[in-house]
Amino acid sequence: MLTRRDFVAKLAVAGAALGAFSMARGAVLPVEASAALGRVRREVVPFCEVVSFHMDQPYIDATGTAMPYRPPQGARSAAAVAHLSEEAFRRMQCCA
Amino acid sequence: MVDFSNQPTMKGFFAPTRFEADVYDCEVIGKIPTELNGAFVRLGGDWLYPPKFADDSPFSMDGYISMFRFKKGIVDYKGRWVKTPRYKADLAAHKQLFGEYRNPFTDDPSVQGLDRSVQNTTPLAFAGKLFTLKEDSLPYEIDCNTLETIGPYNFHGKYKSLTFTAHPKVDPTTGEMICYGYEASGLETNDVYLYTINRKGEVTREVRFKVPYISMVHDIGLTQKHVIIPVYGFVTSMERLKEGKVHWGWDSTKPAYVGVIPRDGEAKDIRWFKGPERATVHTLNARTEGNKVILEAPIFDSNPFPFFPPIDGSPWDPQKARAFIRRNTFDLNSKDDSFTEEKLFQMNVSDLGRVDDRYLSLPYRYAFTAYTDRDRPFNEARAGNLRGRVSNCYGRFDLATGTMSSYFAGDTHSLQEVCFVPRGKSAPEGDGYIMGLASNYAEMRSELIIADTQHLEAGDVARVILPFRATSQVHGRWMNEDQLPFA
Repeated sequence: MLTRRDFVAKLAVAGAALGAFSMARGAVLPVEASAALGRVRREVVPFCEVVSFHMDQPYIDATGTAMPYRPPQGARSAAAVAHLSEEAFRRMQCCA
Repeated sequence: MVDFSNQPTMKGFFAPTRFEADVYDCEVIGKIPTELNGAFVRLGGDWLYPPKFADDSPFSMDGYISMFRFKKGIVDYKGRWVKTPRYKADLAAHKQLFGEYRNPFTDDPSVQGLDRSVQNTTPLAFAGKLFTLKEDSLPYEIDCNTLETIGPYNFHGKYKSLTFTAHPKVDPTTGEMICYGYEASGLETNDVYLYTINRKGEVTREVRFKVPYISMVHDIGLTQKHVIIPVYGFVTSMERLKEGKVHWGWDSTKPAYVGVIPRDGEAKDIRWFKGPERATVHTLNARTEGNKVILEAPIFDSNPFPFFPPIDGSPWDPQKARAFIRRNTFDLNSKDDSFTEEKLFQMNVSDLGRVDDRYLSLPYRYAFTAYTDRDRPFNEARAGNLRGRVSNCYGRFDLATGTMSSYFAGDTHSLQEVCFVPRGKSAPEGDGYIMGLASNYAEMRSELIIADTQHLEAGDVARVILPFRATSQVHGRWMNEDQLPFA
């Protein structure tokens, strides 16, 4: 059974992975992904800006060449509650 | 309606916080040294409203001042917006009315002529008053106990420049402050007004001169005999502003100029030296030795700021945006306009370096700054993919021996600017504590680090824990109990 807690945690991980992939400049889609999306094999995704990190601050790299910055997992990504049991999670969410 | 959801850099740890705060008797891990009595005051920015233009500089963030007040081993925290006319106008309109950084042509017509300052760079304690500094405007006076904004300050009408540097220098031997304003006569003017203000806050000297081209003069060097004025690569023009662009662009064809003027000299006495493309945003210290004037600073190879892009349309190069601690020597006996440069350490560092302020303008041995040690662990599972891109260490750099001792903040932390606090008034140079705010990306909170400079490798002696992310800092300063009328 997929609990609410597991669902939130999986959603966060999937979202982070999708975000990191979509920010990569000139990334080549995997063959499987290309096929699944009905695109031409080895299609190159258009260059795009990425959020990167310099001198302890995020910035927009207009060239898209820098390593994209993926925000750390925190309370908003459900990582903080991922270790809780379903019962403990429901106790925290007393209004649910 | 306030909506930051389409601001890609304002996510996660870097999302705006937008609240004022009081935390009494902060949680502390370790033990606060009882000799620390005073305040660590930070100034930085937060966005009250999203920027009007996506490419605006973070230098446009609304000013936010915060204070860790130390008293007999107890620490209280307070954070307040700097309530400038701009802040009040935006708040009344419920939106951002001001456009690009230092470009009034991009403002909403309703705020034409209003003070655009955001007061977000450096806190200053001088002549018994607390100030916020932003280099495009006058200082603002702040109540040191409530952190409420009092208003702009012009030193009894004697400070005539329209702007005031974020990096005045206080001579430890006289208590005098050497300060200046660039674009001093108004936007897009190449005037610099250089001032001496005595320890009572009275202007005692003014010299006006012009720079080779209008550029960011963010910091200077001070010796017992000279003032050193770096001018480098950032350019601007009225045409640029009328086109709606951010104030500065980078011109890699511009040489770096460095002016040297005697402290008792006039404009005619300034001597300009010329070197290759460089950027000196912050200085460490300077001194005069005979006929040689020596400046030490973390100096970038090129443009350090991605939000002030090259004017030729080329991409900003992060590889050149690395600072190395270098020594520039200016020979006043030389016949030409060249100077020498030495790289003192081969590792690149944060350019937000500090020295023991008791040795400012004098021969000295130690410099402190943050740096990235890529060999230290980083917990990517808890803190994101920032390995190698955060400042995870503070270093005490011994300029006499070329060695360094190091403090490591932890595997989910990044360090902001370091500050040095002497152990006591008679302590030897560099003996005391380093202090600075760490961002804990895993716990989504800020922690004030205090480490003993004699035992940096042993870790911190205390961490003051904030139960939230503090607003990002530009500069922080330690202010002793006797510098301000603290309650």
